[in-house]
Amino acid sequence: MRVSHRWLRDFVDLPTSDPDEIEALLAGLGHEVEGIETLDLPFSGVEVARVQSIRPHPDADKIRLVTVDRGSGTQEVVCGAWNFDVGDIVTLATVGAVLPGGFEIGAREIRGVVSEGMICSERELGFGDDHEGILVLAGDYELGRDFADYLELPDVVYELSITPNRPDAMSMLGIARDLAAKLDVELRQPEIRVDEVDPSTGLEIEIQDPAGCPRFVGREVRGVMSGASPMWMQSRLRAAGIRPISNLVDATNYVMIELGHPTHAFDLDQVAGEKLIIHRAGPGDTLTTLDGVERPLDPGDIVISDAEGVVSLAGVMGGGPTEVSEATTRVLVEAAHWHPPAILYSSKRHNLRSEASARFERGVDPSLSGRAAARVTQLLVDNAGGEAATGVVDVYPAPVEPWTVELPMGEVERILGIPIGSDVASGLLTRLGMEVAGTDPLVVRVPTSRPDLTRPIDLVEEVARLYGFEHIPETLPHGTGGGLTPEQRRLRRLRSILTGAGFTEASTLGFIGVSDLDALDLPAEDPRRATVRVKNPLSEAEETLRSTLLPGLLRAAARNRAYGRDDVALFEVGRVFRNRPAAIDSRVPHQPVHLALLVTGQLHGPLEPVDDPADIFDVTAVLQTMAERLGWSDVGLRQADVAGLHPGRAAVVTKDGEVIGTLGEVHPSAAGRFDLPQRVATLEMRIAPLLTEPPWWSFGPPSVYPPHKFDLAFEMDRSVAAADLMTVVRSAPGTGLESVELFDEFDLGGGRKSLAVTVVVRASDRTMTDEDAQQVRRAIIDHVQLELGVKLRGGE
Amino acid sequence: MQDLDAILGSASERIDGASSLEDLDAVESELLGRRSYINQQRRGLGKLDPADRPAAGARLQQAADQLQGLIDGRRRVLERQAADRLLADDLVDVTVPRRPVRQGRSHLITQTIDEISDIFTAIGYQIADGPEAETAWHNFDALNTPWWHPSRLESDTMYLDYGDPEDEILLRTQTSTVQARVMESQPPPVYVLAPGRCYRTDTIDATHLPVFHQFEGLAVAEGITFADLKGTLAYFARQYFGPERTIRLLPHFFPFTEPSAEMHVSCFACDGSGCRVCGNNGWIELLGCGMVDPNVFEAVGYDPSDVTGFAFGGGIERVAQVRHGIHDMRHLIDNDLRVNEQFV
Repeated sequence: MRVSHRWLRDFVDLPTSDPDEIEALLAGLGHEVEGIETLDLPFSGVEVARVQSIRPHPDADKIRLVTVDRGSGTQEVVCGAWNFDVGDIVTLATVGAVLPGGFEIGAREIRGVVSEGMICSERELGFGDDHEGILVLAGDYELGRDFADYLELPDVVYELSITPNRPDAMSMLGIARDLAAKLDVELRQPEIRVDEVDPSTGLEIEIQDPAGCPRFVGREVRGVMSGASPMWMQSRLRAAGIRPISNLVDATNYVMIELGHPTHAFDLDQVAGEKLIIHRAGPGDTLTTLDGVERPLDPGDIVISDAEGVVSLAGVMGGGPTEVSEATTRVLVEAAHWHPPAILYSSKRHNLRSEASARFERGVDPSLSGRAAARVTQLLVDNAGGEAATGVVDVYPAPVEPWTVELPMGEVERILGIPIGSDVASGLLTRLGMEVAGTDPLVVRVPTSRPDLTRPIDLVEEVARLYGFEHIPETLPHGTGGGLTPEQRRLRRLRSILTGAGFTEASTLGFIGVSDLDALDLPAEDPRRATVRVKNPLSEAEETLRSTLLPGLLRAAARNRAYGRDDVALFEVGRVFRNRPAAIDSRVPHQPVHLALLVTGQLHGPLEPVDDPADIFDVTAVLQTMAERLGWSDVGLRQADVAGLHPGRAAVVTKDGEVIGTLGEVHPSAAGRFDLPQRVATLEMRIAPLLTEPPWWSFGPPSVYPPHKFDLAFEMDRSVAAADLMTVVRSAPGTGLESVELFDEFDLGGGRKSLAVTVVVRASDRTMTDEDAQQVRRAIIDHVQLELGVKLRGGE
Repeated sequence: MQDLDAILGSASERIDGASSLEDLDAVESELLGRRSYINQQRRGLGKLDPADRPAAGARLQQAADQLQGLIDGRRRVLERQAADRLLADDLVDVTVPRRPVRQGRSHLITQTIDEISDIFTAIGYQIADGPEAETAWHNFDALNTPWWHPSRLESDTMYLDYGDPEDEILLRTQTSTVQARVMESQPPPVYVLAPGRCYRTDTIDATHLPVFHQFEGLAVAEGITFADLKGTLAYFARQYFGPERTIRLLPHFFPFTEPSAEMHVSCFACDGSGCRVCGNNGWIELLGCGMVDPNVFEAVGYDPSDVTGFAFGGGIERVAQVRHGIHDMRHLIDNDLRVNEQFV
């Protein structure tokens, strides 16, 4: 909503012209100022003159010599335009005038005749874009008067963002009412008067859809002559962001901005049967709107028909054939009230957003329709030479009456936190146009222009708004405490473990396409195929919610590669979505939080000449660290075939024997499809099992006795997992085994390998002898042989 | 004993004059060795009058200790010089970052969520979350949003092809959903902060992301007032943007609060005088807030005549962008390490 300072002053006396102060006033009332535009006078030295006589130029065919009456005297100028006659009122740029662009007018000789000034076109004056001829003014103008006086310039325009609960504020008068209430000054209403002339109008209105159209007011204006609106009106419309079109159309737009009630002007001679029927669009109904587009109508659209068919899409846009034109002499003024949601959906459906629909969809005051129709009629009489026909057709089967809301004063204090006297509250509400009786509760009669005020809380808001939020103190209440939950604390710890391990956190959008799952070669039965589809996706590549975090991370890695960075370690924590019910609410899909990480490229420092790109072992190491630091010793790995991963370098992650995730290197074909030609190692797992608080750990006192250390190298089939060997070694019978660490893996060829461990044995209560240590060694060797059939390398 | 004084007098020069450990050994032998003057005098003590012996002996011992001390001191110097000559070959350029510690960064969004969460847990709030794929009831109906409200249209909200068509399932457009989730699951009092992901049908550009994060605050108890809302937001502004900050609330509209307001914080860059950060305004628009609408309480089964409450909701990206001068939101989802590694 563009609000002109000058126009505002018609209705309210403002204490200041300082735009910053006005902005603060408006913002304090809840009308955010999104921009302030200063409109300057684009010219100087231009006055009003009348064409007194015209004669041909002695030496030129295309230009004429025009004598104009300046009131104080006459003057002859040369003019090349032909669109005016003797008696027309024009604008004269006198010698010394400055036109837009710094163009200064001097006495100029044109083909032997001196022209002391120039008659101007709209464009030469810097407004409008009509330059086909010079500007001919319609209406009352005083000769010799500075033309600027008619232009309402300079001016300041405030671009307001009006909240959807305030349909009344979508008008000059509405904004003026708020300001007058805040400033506690008088609000001046425009004077609306219609002198009706017989005969009565023959207009008929029939509302078949009273839910869609609770009120329709029609008036007839005869004998209008289409032309330009007076300059002041054109200027005001321009300030409001509306292009002046003609005195007929401008009148409706002017009233919409002034009162906030959109209206429509039909050419009554084009309305078949002089009867309008309001109904919902029927099957097959179409309408060619003002913009020349033929639109199929929806059964939800409210339309206006005449005897021959649909002539208007109610509240949104009129139809071409019944539009007022230069030939129009009889106007039907429509001022109707439409059901807001219907207008909202019609304008969205047809992608037609207009100043009118913006108001109707918020809800225009139904009590205002009669005044709006009268105001348009008055302007058509004043500006287009029309006569108002006797009679108003006003179909309003169920008039809306002002309603009453009781406001207990205790409620004001309970919500705002400060006591406000009932006299103060009563005064504030009265200034907003409400009738207030009583002291506690206040009995408040709310005008129909404020559909947002139906409950006590709504009135509390109005009291607070006018009282000023700035006068309410600041107090700080404290909650019931408790801090972060153990899970929340552990998630923070998990993140810090991962960043400590060199992984940087990514945040990806969360949508994938089926093509991403295809790129990973996931089989049909893979749980990640059970996706949830978005009905209105952003794009086809983002048609489903992510069922895995991998595609997002792969894409992020590829993007970094494109930016010139091949060495990437990323992780992401976020929800994935699966097509089955969630545990917390069966109506919504399962949406567990996952952790995924990805590492690729060289992670050593550039000075270390090690050509050792990251692989699956960087990921298993991180998993190990996470499990240890989060206190879970039972997180394990099992070599497995995992869809999308390298068949020889993949595993499932288990906790308590349950599979909670997968890790491994992305299958090279899949990685290639994501533009990642090198090794890419990843992990993806459910996070909840790690965030559960483990039992408290118990202290084990370190032994004070010296250790025995020895190495054992075992030879075995390549298929034996190191983890299994370690488990068996650790579970060897006997006492004193302190730690076992793998220190060598060696491929012996022929499908055989060697694994070597360092064993530390130490007793907690004594110094072990060499014989004691030998016994432990023997027990380990025997146990490994028994459990795995594996012997020491080279025999004993 | 004249000679002893002379020896002591010249000893320190001779000791310090030794330029190698070998030289020093020779000097030591000369001064304290078997054939040294001091040693000879000791051996001659027996010939003295028994009454003079202790004094003479003590004097000799004192001189010997003094010389030994000087020699030991010189030896430490020479030994270190010898060691340093060897270590000179082990010289490194200390400015070479040979083994950098490679640590990652958590995302700015996470850091901001953690920081704001800490600000509110410090005044007794708990941190709550709710589903991102949510029912239309929690996202709209419970929050007093009329059935015809334009925010429900597919041009604003993403709907999911899931479940019973009766329960429209969507991607939550605001963390306000957690208000309803928390209140329907527990009786008052409620003090929660709910940070999380939200989704809207927006085209990606410098100021819009279809997926973004909000933080929602909710305080419901007997006696919570608009003054409490103001105080809580002022506390937040000072914690997050610095102790000098002030706030203002301007009337606004949201379906789920009344009175509703928009919170502005005085610009931290110019202290309110107007600059590029605040668009020459002196104030930075930060979040929406208000007193919980009675209809919301009724929807979740609270009695609005028993309790009052306030709610506020802001953009995580927004507050972080303002503070760190990130003008284009797309940097926050690109995962360009050149950006993410700036998140200290």
